[in-house]
Amino acid sequence: MRFDRPSVILYTVSEFAIETEDLTKVFTSGWSKRELRAVDRISLRVRRGSTYGLLGPNGAGKTTFVKMLLSCAHPTSGTARVFGQDTKRPAARRPIGYLPENHRFPTYMTGWGMLDFYGALSGMDSASRKRRIPELLNQVGLDERAHHLRLGKYSKGMLQRVGLAQALMHAPQLLVLDEPSDGVDPVGRKQIRDVLTALESQGVTIFLNSHLLAEVELFCQEVAIIQRGKVALSGTVQELTSGSGYRVESMGVPEGIRTEIAARARHCTVTAGLLQATFETCEEANVAVDLLRSKKCDIESLSRVRSTLEEVFMKTVEVHQ
Amino acid sequence: MIATIALIKDTFREAFARRIFWGFFGCCTLLLLFLMFILRIDVVAGALATISIFGNTLPTTNVQNLVQQTQSVIAMILYFAGMALSVFASAGLVAAMFEPGRIELLLSKPVSRIHLLLGRYVGNLLVVAANIVYLVAGSWIIFGIKTEIWGTGFLVSSLFTIFIFGVLLAVIVLVGVLWDSAAVAIMVTFAIMIVTPILAQKTTIERLLSTEWSRDVVRVLYYVLPKTSDVAVMIRHLILNQPIDSWMPVWSTALFGIVVLGFGLWRFNRRTF
Repeated sequence: MRFDRPSVILYTVSEFAIETEDLTKVFTSGWSKRELRAVDRISLRVRRGSTYGLLGPNGAGKTTFVKMLLSCAHPTSGTARVFGQDTKRPAARRPIGYLPENHRFPTYMTGWGMLDFYGALSGMDSASRKRRIPELLNQVGLDERAHHLRLGKYSKGMLQRVGLAQALMHAPQLLVLDEPSDGVDPVGRKQIRDVLTALESQGVTIFLNSHLLAEVELFCQEVAIIQRGKVALSGTVQELTSGSGYRVESMGVPEGIRTEIAARARHCTVTAGLLQATFETCEEANVAVDLLRSKKCDIESLSRVRSTLEEVFMKTVEVHQ
Repeated sequence: MIATIALIKDTFREAFARRIFWGFFGCCTLLLLFLMFILRIDVVAGALATISIFGNTLPTTNVQNLVQQTQSVIAMILYFAGMALSVFASAGLVAAMFEPGRIELLLSKPVSRIHLLLGRYVGNLLVVAANIVYLVAGSWIIFGIKTEIWGTGFLVSSLFTIFIFGVLLAVIVLVGVLWDSAAVAIMVTFAIMIVTPILAQKTTIERLLSTEWSRDVVRVLYYVLPKTSDVAVMIRHLILNQPIDSWMPVWSTALFGIVVLGFGLWRFNRRTF
């Protein structure tokens, strides 16, 4: 998919699209003066042109963090920069396209009218808006009829699509998406993913805040898991999900060999005659393979075991609970 | 400039969609029709009929005076009724801007918070101003056609009405920023509209109060709060071609509006959403 961009504006020479330094947000309740540390000294760097996923359970501080990036919430301490510019400055938000999670788009607007309004707020002139709106609405899969339909008549999925179009209106260099495929059917999700993939290939930085771990795993290069306002774990998806062992699968393994392999393996099961044994190291797996081959057992497969992002996430959250 | 125009257009679009503009416009039209009706059967026609019955020609100045008196009474009605309608019409428009899920998107755009709120303020003011000008200019034309007296005082009174509304809108904005509530904004603004005419009688009130500190409170409140009643008196003087003794009610009211709006903008700028 080719995603047309009307203009490319380069924003400073910073290597990072997002850069936070000890970013902290403390909420104080009115009467009791009780403090809630929603975001606690988060220092995060998102490389220009990368796809970055922000994960965490409800109430972990993800949304507050995103709001501070957009200057909707003022940090108690620390700094947030976008392409090297302090986010407190309105101009720093020019390269950002944002789709909030619980958005409430004005229902009196049509899809067209909404893009026109937010495009104008982003500083686009009338001619550029007129040119950009129909192509964007079509690209996010909204047909002609939807263009002039009031948003009050839109389904949840249509609202997500028009919301994404709104975020892309001024050809941003950084896209901050909060649950972009929430309420969208599988076909729509695929369409949104295609749009994002096309943008990624054009060097747009994508910062994704999502509960759909499989989606994040599929799409993001790097992730950070936030728990209780702090970064509990961060790294590339490859790093975080790799290195948890090697799995050997074999059929028709005699009882004696099975016991021997189970003693050496980290984990061993037999289901419908299929033995599945997981070993810590490649060498241990090789020894098991040699043993099985010596007894003429069929090797069904030998593979590196990878954790899913969900497993990594659950483990991280449990550890920091 | 593109963003400012977009914000003003959006306020109008919302006022149209929420039927606020059309409701206001309908009320103004009803008032104009009512004015046409009473002028036709009663005030001017009645006065002129009286003249013809007695067979004496009343001096033009007397008719002009009669028309001006009528205009001033109608201007007072329009002033207070228009104000009440405007407050009802605007409170929802300001509070709607702070709805969660909507404000975040606005704040994420490369527009300063002050610019966003001022754009909304001006848009709201223009929505009301359009209707007030329609109402006053319509009344002025009806009077002019009926009496052929085209004094500008009545027309200028619309500027005072818009000015006072601008000050009350600053209160609506501040309450909206502090509490996100249209209902509270209406209550506070109406409280000001009720209290200030009472405070305008400060000389009488002071005579009734026994302690000096309570008299000081009345004086402070009078000078601090907007002087809706005093401005109404000024409008009356303007229409009747009488001299205006003091412009203090205008500048002190303007000062109140600037301070309140300034505080609203400052609070909005610091607020976390």
